[in-house]
Amino acid sequence: MAEVPFQHVARRFAELVCPPEVRADQRADRVLGELGLMLGSLPPAARKALAGALVLLDQGARLYPPSRGRRFARLGDEVAGPYVRAVLARRDPAAELIRRLKSVIIMCYYELPEVQREIGYDPAPYIAAVSRRRLESYGPDIRAGEAVVTAAPGQGTPERGTP
Amino acid sequence: MISGLVTQAEVAGDLSLDCGAVVVGSGAGGATVAAELAEAGVDVVLLEEGGYHPTESFTAATGRALRTLYRDGGGGMAIGRPSVLYAEGRCVGGSTVVNGGMSWRTPTRVLSRWAEQEGLRAIGERDLDPYFAAIESRLSVGLQDPETIGRDSALFQAGAQARGWAVVPNRRNQLHCAGTNSCSSGCPTGAKRSMLVTSVPRALARGARLFADCRVDRVTRAGGAVTGVTGHFVRPGGRRGPGLTVRARVVVVAGGAIQTPALLARSGLRSASGRLGRNLSVHPNAVVTAFFDQEVTGWQGVHQAFQVREFLDEGLLLTATNLTPPMLAGILPAYGAELGELMADYNRIVTAGPLVSDTGTGRIRSLPGLGPQVFYQLTDYDAGRVARGVELTAEALFEAGARRVLLPVDAAPVVRGPDELRRLLARPVPKRSLQLYSVHLMGTARMSEDPRRGVTGSFGEFHGAAGLIVADASLFPGPIGINPMETVIALAMRNARRLVERRDSYGL
Repeated sequence: MAEVPFQHVARRFAELVCPPEVRADQRADRVLGELGLMLGSLPPAARKALAGALVLLDQGARLYPPSRGRRFARLGDEVAGPYVRAVLARRDPAAELIRRLKSVIIMCYYELPEVQREIGYDPAPYIAAVSRRRLESYGPDIRAGEAVVTAAPGQGTPERGTP
Repeated sequence: MISGLVTQAEVAGDLSLDCGAVVVGSGAGGATVAAELAEAGVDVVLLEEGGYHPTESFTAATGRALRTLYRDGGGGMAIGRPSVLYAEGRCVGGSTVVNGGMSWRTPTRVLSRWAEQEGLRAIGERDLDPYFAAIESRLSVGLQDPETIGRDSALFQAGAQARGWAVVPNRRNQLHCAGTNSCSSGCPTGAKRSMLVTSVPRALARGARLFADCRVDRVTRAGGAVTGVTGHFVRPGGRRGPGLTVRARVVVVAGGAIQTPALLARSGLRSASGRLGRNLSVHPNAVVTAFFDQEVTGWQGVHQAFQVREFLDEGLLLTATNLTPPMLAGILPAYGAELGELMADYNRIVTAGPLVSDTGTGRIRSLPGLGPQVFYQLTDYDAGRVARGVELTAEALFEAGARRVLLPVDAAPVVRGPDELRRLLARPVPKRSLQLYSVHLMGTARMSEDPRRGVTGSFGEFHGAAGLIVADASLFPGPIGINPMETVIALAMRNARRLVERRDSYGL
């Protein structure tokens, strides 16, 4: 797991781009936890790029007139919201980077099990049920098919069409 | 742990190995070659940069899958206007562990084109049919059991058929797929017959040795022939581990259309054609998100059950594919409360879209400190076909009863009916505004009998380096317009068997 750079900026961004429920039940902490795991799987250059996006987002707010020179992390919702909207609507490379960061953070939010349950997505019981059904319905056929994989030539189900 | 597998955790110091053939990459091409050669008694070392993750470790969790089974967390980006996001598998079994399992033979017209344009030998339908038959038997390729077809696929099928379009059930490498809809996270039942559960264990059962967590740095050479590879093990967190040297008579490179040309280029190999790393096709695809009144629960049922083939002559393939909540939320054109409202309808959503057989090409360039980077420019013609594919997809979804759709176009409004759709798409869609994805990357070491046109010959042999074989989708002279896995495997099997026939000349 990689440490999330500029955590306070990432948290503030998550509060604005994720649904409002992110502020409940320490979900923002868990989003940052997921983000750290995700960053850990990225190559160093990509990690640096996303860290750069956070810096651009944070410092770029100083140039946004309603912020009156403050950084993004220090803005209240009434200014931070329109600022984020303005940034995400831009079509420059910096905005592209921030849009990618937004996508990653949103993915981390929807990775949380309680969020998935809230929208009716709970795959584990379903997977368990259809896996059982598969074995009950097709057990012998499955075992025969699996045996083909490592069977020596001439053993098990013969391969069709071997040239 | 399976017999014959060594992971980084078991390696304390540098390793030096000798073998007949070293195979780089354990995906569709590499695992197939390894199994074929091992079966013929060749001493095979199979190297995989990713980790070994058995079937029992697979769940539906998207984040876990992206971190462990994909290169760079699945977040590759081909740079261009627009950029194209792409994903590559990186694990034992390669992309076959995370793909949808679509298994289609190469279209005859594509094989004919390749043979004519590149003078390729033994690549006609009759030449390849026996290999396809063998693969389909080994990988249990067939149609889905009907109880596994989800409502999202059924709705899209109904919409397309109501339009009078040709719809075909998908052929997949599956052994009574349970329909868990977890293809892209690794099949939790092992029903998807990926290389992880087929050709890799087959190779190991015949004596091949597999080294996971092992990144190959270079192909080594002496004179005009390859002599093996050097590389290193990758420790957790990406830290560099012990080194590895493999001496081999034959080197088979099967790292996919990005990593293969990058490895060959950093090994100092050059193609007289100048095409190494060029000629990249990506089959750009786009996602249309449709909202229905009724419950769809698209995550219950097989990943892709049907393909709309009505527009293949235009280079368009349409299909419905469910996306997990993180994947869908990550691409929706919304955030904050608006995103929450859209995602609250997750169980009423169908996602579908076109795949385009592209005419444009891209290239792979290794940049200092960044490694291989992909550059790809969508042509105006292809952009027009993406837009047409999006329109057709949305038409089918409206026909099936969708109340509104979101288009993969920046700043596009919500579309609430076919008339609005036609009005919106009557004007050309700005190319830069398209949101595109790819999981089919091909063509960067293309086959041609003419070394001035291609990087490799008819049987994957690298022009100008004896003993070097390419065995992945890099070989394709161009896009094939359908799912490429079975073609990759067929070519790998064919080329491996030819290698065995000529083993004396390779010193095997």
